[in-house]
Amino acid sequence: MGDSGRQIGIVLLLPRFMRDLGTLLLMSGFAGAGLTLWLGLVWAPSVSIDAFEAPIAQKIFYWHVPSAWAAMIAFTLLFVGSLAWFVKRKEWGWNLHVASAEASLAFGLMAVWSGCIWGAAEWGVPWDWTDVRLNTFALLTLLAIFLVLGRRSQPDGIETRDTFATFGIYGFILVPTTYLATRFWQIRHPGPVVATSEGSLNSDMGMVLTLGAISFTLLVIGHTICGIRLTKMESRLIEIQDIIDKEGI
Amino acid sequence: MPDLLTMSGVVIRRGRNTVLDDFHLDLKNGEVVVLVGENGCGKSTVIEACAGLIDLEKGSIKTAKTIIRDSEGRHGRPESPFGLCLQSDCIMGDELVKERIDDVAGLCGKSIDSQALLEQWNLGHRSQDRVASLSKGQRRKIAVLSGVLPSAITDSPTVILLDEPDAGLDEDSVSRLSGLIRDIADGGHGILIASHNSQIIACADRIVTFDDSVIESAPSDGVAWKIKSKPAKKARIGNRLDRRTLGSLSQNIIPGMLVIGALLALSDPTQFDSRMRIGAILAPALAAGLSGDPISSRLTESRSSDWWRSMSAIPPNALLHVLISSALLTTLACTLFGKLEYNLIAAGAGFAMITASVILILHQATLRLSRPSALMIRLLTPALILPWAILVDRLA
Repeated sequence: MGDSGRQIGIVLLLPRFMRDLGTLLLMSGFAGAGLTLWLGLVWAPSVSIDAFEAPIAQKIFYWHVPSAWAAMIAFTLLFVGSLAWFVKRKEWGWNLHVASAEASLAFGLMAVWSGCIWGAAEWGVPWDWTDVRLNTFALLTLLAIFLVLGRRSQPDGIETRDTFATFGIYGFILVPTTYLATRFWQIRHPGPVVATSEGSLNSDMGMVLTLGAISFTLLVIGHTICGIRLTKMESRLIEIQDIIDKEGI
Repeated sequence: MPDLLTMSGVVIRRGRNTVLDDFHLDLKNGEVVVLVGENGCGKSTVIEACAGLIDLEKGSIKTAKTIIRDSEGRHGRPESPFGLCLQSDCIMGDELVKERIDDVAGLCGKSIDSQALLEQWNLGHRSQDRVASLSKGQRRKIAVLSGVLPSAITDSPTVILLDEPDAGLDEDSVSRLSGLIRDIADGGHGILIASHNSQIIACADRIVTFDDSVIESAPSDGVAWKIKSKPAKKARIGNRLDRRTLGSLSQNIIPGMLVIGALLALSDPTQFDSRMRIGAILAPALAAGLSGDPISSRLTESRSSDWWRSMSAIPPNALLHVLISSALLTTLACTLFGKLEYNLIAAGAGFAMITASVILILHQATLRLSRPSALMIRLLTPALILPWAILVDRLA
């Protein structure tokens, strides 16, 4: 097979490979997330009853932290996609923007929802409007809702893409702000417990949390790949509709 | 002499289509250029791009001294304001007829006898009426007058952009307009018009079609159009409009009053600790600020915001009234939930004005969309609760 034949082969096989890869990652992620939950609830040691107001509720940590981690990955992908569309007009950039906005919404809601449950048990209130970490993360999630619902409310076109990409780019400033929030303005949300000198995780807890982080990473990447594929199919459908309109069939 | 306006290699995409591809056009002093072509060929896009309303994928649009817009994202406003009349009338329904003409003159830094001008166009008897009460044809006359007026009062040559100015006008008005177009050109101004009307097309020095052909023409001369004017300050249009419509009463004060009412109904102010008391005092200001600027919703009428975006760096707003309304609300909350504290009144008023400004900016950022009203921009407003909560914490 010549070079051109090989290139054609790659072009033809790449979508199928990406589809299979997306599904594979999504399935592995789901399995890993399920295992993390089971290990977290049944196998991982409980925390000291002196360290927490609601030690049992602490188990939600194995869901809350990996989902927040996955949301951060999704927000970063959203930024990359938005930038690629806005600066370079790359079609893949817009597809990545759409898919990662949906992933950001899914994982952002998981983190906020699980955090509220944990907060209600541990602090006595589900939310604190003065806590910077809580609010910036919630705002990122609201940004994702805005991007997902907003895009659906507008016809696809350059104005729509530019406007939402701008929000995706400027919204990214909240990611480092959220990350650094507990270091500079810790009010209620605890600071980092992993890979720091102040960390207080024992090895079994750390192992379950690592499994959760890997699983949710696979989940968010798989979700994004599948989302990109769906967005491409959506664009193709609109193109076909345009062709049918022009041909007057 | 350099051209009044130059479009070079302009590529514009709208929606999913490329509307203009490597489009070139120049407009000289005293020249009337008419864009002719079937619907959807890009006439309005050219006018709106020249007015700086559309982003360019490639190319640039410049006046003799200023880049109006280019594909690098640079943009500016011409030295002397454009005259602009878009396909929509671009007038808020609550503006008064005479006020509108005075405001256009004010944007050029001049004041004129607008009543006399309106008399000439058979609108003198309607000068104190709201634009919303006019017929479609009368509204169009006001829109066209707003578009051509800068040419009669500015000293330097200016660009007049008219998008289908004849639409909705009667035969007499179209004849008057076509005569006026030649008069404007005779005054050394450049006019770019998109039109299908044969009388308007007959005014052209050059007819540009969208199949790359240009037709030169030799229309009759006119007599330079000038209106006596004197220097004037720009009016505070938004505040004046809000005073008349009482928009901030319904948009800012009522939500603030509802918050006060809810707090009084659901809690006992005598039991408040310091933080709760400050929160209750500043809550009405938060509600007033989150309700936004009362003028911004009016600007969505008939593409008014686009016209103002092109003509002025700061759109009409009534942020000053938001400040005053919030100061009043915070004063009331102070007397109900504690005692009068001037630092709290200043904090409440300032916070509400900043909040309303942020919402105004968010609103402006989405105006380019084809359906901005369908967008749930309010989803982003909880971002403003965090600074409010921090302010409450600090003041407590």
